[in-house]
Amino acid sequence: MRNYFAQIGAILWKDLRVELRTRERLITMGAFAVLAAILFNYATDRVGVSHEDIAAGLVWMTIVFAGLLGVGRTFHLEAEDGALQGILLSPVPKDAIFLAKALSNFVLLYIVALLVVAVFMLFFGLEVGSSAGMIALVIGLGVLGFVALGTLFSAISTGTRMGETLLPVLVFPLLAPVVIYGTSATSQFLAGRPVTEAEGSIKMLAAFALMALFAGSWLFRFVVED
Amino acid sequence: MNRNESLCGLLSVITLLVSAITLSAQEISELPGAQLAAQGLGRPYWHVFIAYAIAIGLVFFWVVSIGRRLSQIEKKLGN
Amino acid sequence: MSSKKIRLGGTALAMIGLVWLGVVYWMSFFWVSTEVTQGVAQRIFYVHVPAAWTSFLAFGLAALTSAMYLWLRDERLDRAAVSAAEGGMVFATIMLATGPLWGKIAWGTYWTWEPRLTLTLLLWFIFLGYFLVRSSTENPEKGKRHAAVVAIVGALDIPFIHLSVIWFRSLHPEPVVIKAEGPTLPGDMLATLLMSLGAFTALFLGLFLLRYSLENLRAELDTRSRHASV
Repeated sequence: MRNYFAQIGAILWKDLRVELRTRERLITMGAFAVLAAILFNYATDRVGVSHEDIAAGLVWMTIVFAGLLGVGRTFHLEAEDGALQGILLSPVPKDAIFLAKALSNFVLLYIVALLVVAVFMLFFGLEVGSSAGMIALVIGLGVLGFVALGTLFSAISTGTRMGETLLPVLVFPLLAPVVIYGTSATSQFLAGRPVTEAEGSIKMLAAFALMALFAGSWLFRFVVED
Repeated sequence: MNRNESLCGLLSVITLLVSAITLSAQEISELPGAQLAAQGLGRPYWHVFIAYAIAIGLVFFWVVSIGRRLSQIEKKLGN
Repeated sequence: MSSKKIRLGGTALAMIGLVWLGVVYWMSFFWVSTEVTQGVAQRIFYVHVPAAWTSFLAFGLAALTSAMYLWLRDERLDRAAVSAAEGGMVFATIMLATGPLWGKIAWGTYWTWEPRLTLTLLLWFIFLGYFLVRSSTENPEKGKRHAAVVAIVGALDIPFIHLSVIWFRSLHPEPVVIKAEGPTLPGDMLATLLMSLGAFTALFLGLFLLRYSLENLRAELDTRSRHASV
C-alpha cells in the first residue's frame, strides 16, 4: 500500500516538475482565464443583468474551457517522445498511473480555478467574504470530478486522428452534473446564503468526483493496453 | 437470391405502410371543419403528422441503410 | 446460433415489427379516443414514449455488452454493442424530434429544459462520441476498447445527469403508466401505448439482429482479406 502511494507520488512529482520547468500549461490556462473574463465583461450587459447574478455561471464555464485546454495535453508530451510506453511498461499498476496523472492535472487546474475566481472578484467586484472557504471546497470538488473524466478521455482522444478536438464532444455531455451543481452552489455562496442550502449540491459534487475517480482508475487500463 | 427477395418483401411492406399513412392523413384532414373548430386545434394535426412521419421515416432510413450495407458486403464476399 | 438463423430471425422480427407498427399507426389515428385537455396533439405520445423506451433499452444494451466485451474479449459482444448503439441513436433521434413537436402544443415552446428530454439529448451526444472514437482511432482493436470505455462511463454518469437535470427544472408530465396506485391512463390509450411499446421493441430487436449479422459478415470479410494477403 505504501509502495502504491510512493509510485503515485513519484509520477505526480515528475509531472509537476516538468510543468514547473516549462510552465506551458499554467501560463496558457491562466492567460485564457484572464482573457475570457475580459471578453465576458464586454459580452454581458451591465445594465440589464447584474454581474452577481451570472458570475457563478461565467466562473464555471471559464474553468471548464480552461481545463479542457490543459487536460487535453496530459499525454501530449509523453506521446511525442515515446515516454508513455516507458511508464506503461514499468511495473507500476495502471490505476496508480491514472491517479497520478489526474492529481497532477488537479493541482494545475485548481490553481487556475482559484485564479479565475480571483480575476472575477477583481474585475466584477464580487464579494466572496466569509464563504471563501466553502467556494474553494465547491470548486475543488468540481475540478476533481472534471480532471478525473478529462484525464481518462484525453488518453482516449490522444490516440485518435481528431486529437484534442474530440475531447469536448466526449467530456461536455458527461460534465452537465458538475456544471449544474457547481454553478448552483457557487451562486448560493456568492449571494451569502447559509451552508445548509448548498449542502445537497456539495454532496452530489463529491459523489460525482468519487464516481469519476473510480471509473477512471478502473477503465484506464483498457485505454492504454496494446 | 433468397435474401434479396426478403429485402424486396420488406420494402413492399414499408411502401404499403407509407401509402396507408398518407391515405389516413387525407381522411383525417377531410373531417368536418366544425369538429376541428370545436377543438380549437387546427394546427396540432400538422404536428402529429410530422411526428408520425419522422418516426416512420427514421425507421425506414435505418432499414434501408442496413439493407444497402448488407448487399454491398455480400457482393464483396461473393467475389 | 448460426449466422443464417440470426439473419432469418432478424428479418422475421423486423417484418412483424413493421406490420405491428402499421397496426399501431392505425390505432392511434382512428381507434384511440382523443385526450380531453391536450386534444389531438397528445397522440404524439404513442410514438414519443415508445421511442424513448426503445432508445434507453438500446443504449443500456450497448453499455452492458461493452462492459462484457472489456471483460470477456469476445468479438461478438463488441458487434452487439455497436449494433445496439446504432439503434439507440435512431430511436433517440425519433424521441428528440417528436418531443418538441408535442411540447410546442402542450407547453407553447419547442424546447424546454425538461429533464428527460435533456437526458436523452446528452445521451445522444455521448453515443455520438462513441461512434467518433470508434471511427477515428487508428488501430481498430483499440477503437473498440476506447468506444466501450465511452459507453461504460456514459452509463455510470447517467444517474448523475438524471438527478441533476431533474433537480434543475421539471415541467414534464408525471409518469402515467408505472405508478404505485396503478396506471391512470384510460384503457384504450393504455392499450395503444402498450401495443406501440411492443411494436417498437420488436422492430428494434429485429433490426438489431440484422445489424448484428452485418457486423458478422464484415468480420468474415476482414479475415478473408487477411488470409488473401498472407
